[in-house]
Amino acid sequence: MRGIELNQHIRASLALLIESADELRDLDQALGDGDLGITVTAGSRAVITELEQLGDAATPTEIARTAAKAFANANPSTMAALVAGALLSGSRTWEGKDEIGLPEASAFVAAAAASIAHRGKTEVGDKTILDGIVAAADALASAGDPAEGMTSACDAAARAVRETTELQSRRGRASWLQERSIGLPDPGATAFWRFLEAWAVVSARPH
Amino acid sequence: MKKIINAPEDFVDEFVEGILLAHPDLVRTPGDDLRVMVRADAPLAGKVGIVTGGGSGHLPLFKGYVGAGLCSGVAIGNVFSSPSSDQILQATKAVDGGAGVLYLYGNYGGDVFNFDLACDLAELEGIPTATVLGRDDVASQPRERKHDRRGVAGILFAYKAAGAAAERGDSLEQVVAVTEDVVEHTATIGIGLAPTIMPTTGKPSFELPDGEMEIGIGIHGEPGSRRGPLETADEIADHLTSALVDDLGLGEGSRVAVLVNGLGATPLEELYVLYRRTHRFLADRGIEIVKKYVGEYATSLEMAGASISLLELDDARLELLEAPARSPFFREG
Repeated sequence: MRGIELNQHIRASLALLIESADELRDLDQALGDGDLGITVTAGSRAVITELEQLGDAATPTEIARTAAKAFANANPSTMAALVAGALLSGSRTWEGKDEIGLPEASAFVAAAAASIAHRGKTEVGDKTILDGIVAAADALASAGDPAEGMTSACDAAARAVRETTELQSRRGRASWLQERSIGLPDPGATAFWRFLEAWAVVSARPH
Repeated sequence: MKKIINAPEDFVDEFVEGILLAHPDLVRTPGDDLRVMVRADAPLAGKVGIVTGGGSGHLPLFKGYVGAGLCSGVAIGNVFSSPSSDQILQATKAVDGGAGVLYLYGNYGGDVFNFDLACDLAELEGIPTATVLGRDDVASQPRERKHDRRGVAGILFAYKAAGAAAERGDSLEQVVAVTEDVVEHTATIGIGLAPTIMPTTGKPSFELPDGEMEIGIGIHGEPGSRRGPLETADEIADHLTSALVDDLGLGEGSRVAVLVNGLGATPLEELYVLYRRTHRFLADRGIEIVKKYVGEYATSLEMAGASISLLELDDARLELLEAPARSPFFREG
């Protein structure tokens, strides 16, 4: 996937992700402060707008950095800052590359996971977006081809949401609910899963 | 609720505009975003820039300490909320004189996320940054977890030291070292008597019955770490100062700077009554008071209450405190 295709794919996926905004808002109202719907909607729209302005010659690194800045500025929430930092970390793994394949996707997602763990001072099992990202990074790392990578990453992200639902949230506002958080799906991990689902739907469309 | 405001959502932009109009010789806004303010002569070639920031509602805190010998720039959030990473980046670019930029602000989640992201963005622009967090509130975490403490009024000492070090031409690494050293030797604790009222909601931030006070109060209208019966000024001074002396391990022969800070609605007279006893408490233990600050340095809108901060001094820290500085709200020398 070259820059121009990557750009189109991100925009199409985010347009689909916005359709999950109400679900994410409701999940976040139960566990957080309810602004995840706005973060995802405003952030996705801002990324789409900024990526439309980029020329066809933009490199994958430039695309990821443009997306990061747009997402962070749209609604400066904690989640937006974490996601933007993760995208910037990922963009460093793409420096000098014009073509994004499975190894590049895998390196990007692994760097994004490391950034969220470091900045969010969180680890797997804390019931956050990190659980989904790490699961997807592992799936990509062991996949044999891009199609298998896509499917297994998406399945892994879905599984991470299911398996952490019964855990107690240990980071962020959700942790203030203590044992009341048990049984509620994590909004951040759900958002990541919905994004991968959208990415897979766009991949399946005829080119 | 009665407040001297126009539309609540214009509150922040309007008071920033007021500061800019009142002090054009000291501060300016580098672009068209009122939420970014820098010292009038920024950037200073070859000198480390210092960017601070955080929510509004704490004046003089954050924006009041932009000036010569203090911070070089500030990013300004809404009341009690973080500025965006883009605003921090704009301040960074406007103060970068080629020697790197120090981010110095209080330890709060939202601010940390946005400043950390600004570090990444600045790096992409080729501007090296480093971060030191104010974390002086001894009531927020025990000494063993001091790195998780929140930042309150004691950050004044860190601003003063960082600004003086940058002004004399220290490298970014050196500015970080002296600022960390000051943060390490600073401790603050406060009490609250009446809550903050948010301009946007018009509601008090907590209810506090007559005859009670919040102990270990922060500067965001949040309750303290515990609640107790209201004490006399002397009892308050003794309890707060004793907690600080213990935390810093001070004793006979120690030298300190003392800051008695009003939280917004407490008269100067009461602050001086507190200072009186604090002074005597320290003097009785053979602790020498070298620098004194009494007044409003970090507030929480109209919260009633006060905090006491101590900085343990050595010659190096004292030299930094005594270096000249000038901002709209602070002057030394």
